[in-house]
Amino acid sequence: MRGGESLKKFLTIICLILTFFVIYFLQANFFTWFTISGVMPNLFIVLVLFIGLFIGRKLGFVFGLIFGIYLDLMLGKAVGISGIMLGLVGLIGEYLDKNFSKDSRVTIILMVIGSTAFYEIGSYLFQVIRWGALIEILPFLKILALEIIFNIALVIILYPIIQRVGNYVENLFKKKEVLTRYF
Amino acid sequence: MYRNKKTGIIGIIITIIILILVVILSNIDIKNMSYIENAFNSLVMPIQNGLTYLKNKVEGNNSFFDDISNLQKENEELKTKNSQLEQSLRELEILKAENETLKEYVNLKDKYNEYETIPAYVINKDITNYNNTIVINIGEKDGVKPNMTVIADQGLVGHVISTTQTTAKVQTIIDTASSVSATMSTSDEAIIVTGTLEKASTLKATYIPTEAKVLENDKVETSGIGGIYPKGITIGTIKEIVDTKNITDRYAYVETAVDFKKIETVLVIIE
Repeated sequence: MRGGESLKKFLTIICLILTFFVIYFLQANFFTWFTISGVMPNLFIVLVLFIGLFIGRKLGFVFGLIFGIYLDLMLGKAVGISGIMLGLVGLIGEYLDKNFSKDSRVTIILMVIGSTAFYEIGSYLFQVIRWGALIEILPFLKILALEIIFNIALVIILYPIIQRVGNYVENLFKKKEVLTRYF
Repeated sequence: MYRNKKTGIIGIIITIIILILVVILSNIDIKNMSYIENAFNSLVMPIQNGLTYLKNKVEGNNSFFDDISNLQKENEELKTKNSQLEQSLRELEILKAENETLKEYVNLKDKYNEYETIPAYVINKDITNYNNTIVINIGEKDGVKPNMTVIADQGLVGHVISTTQTTAKVQTIIDTASSVSATMSTSDEAIIVTGTLEKASTLKATYIPTEAKVLENDKVETSGIGGIYPKGITIGTIKEIVDTKNITDRYAYVETAVDFKKIETVLVIIE
């Protein structure tokens, strides 16, 4: 029984890694032309938030960190910033799970808005401080707003899948059992 | 329950439609509206064709249907010919694409023959909205090292920031963290051009000398100062000059010579 559960957990983790690569190829190909005014969404944030929300147990942070470091290694100017920021998004997911209900579409959307803004503002500040990038508040806010709108639209579309898969992995990892003797 | 599920599906469908419409409308080139004409045509043409057919029939001009078996035979022959032609066309397209790539390499080599260069393909582009790095398909084993200059047919692309055995990561000049020392064709003094978030193919030229006369469409080239980029490589042209109260703060927008959205082949300057 326990062995079967471990196998299920292992397979779920493999599926999450595969989802990361699917998102990577979508971002690198499809979303380079399917853009809103040249702005693409950031589905990595949604994935890591989802892991933090539904799996928790610091796995959101670990996955965020590993995914971010991989992205930095592939395309970043320095290794670490995407790792740290995505790791923090995973932690935020776990914190949000403890304080808010994720059964409502609206709360999920608000969580996506918050984590997208947090991730992008943090990454941009690092760009400015570390690389001396120009501070361009208005263009940055315009891109951020479009990115958030794009992420929200995708979350609305994917919400039924997120909810179903989320409940499955939550039951698997968090073991929300009803203690019948108290009823 | 049923109603909620149904409403949810309708909501998702509406969101998908709105998202597709927003993406299309936000990327639309207003000048190129011929497809609207096509859409209207496709609405009107079937009715128009039907009416023309009816008119011809009334006038007794329905001889097309006299010999159906002949037509079917002819149709089969045409179909076979068509598939043969399509096959040839595909082969020609492949040859054309290969030819274009080779031509691009030759042009690049001729233009920058004073430098020793290696051609490369762009194999990956940044997947975020705030960085502009690209990955090319040559690396350490081809002699590529960090800080080497990368150019394209039209001008400067950027410089190598890191390498693996088979690939190299290039920070483009449109990256917000990129600064290049440059000169304008009307002035020998150096200015600084930096990447900006405002437009993908636009740079911001700052530190313009107070006595320099800046003109629109002035050519901007690398100055050779800074130790990374050689002198005289085209960066772009000045598109807009923004005057400020204090003349030392004035700046200009430079349109890059390279179209970074379509960039596919580059040259890495080895020496």
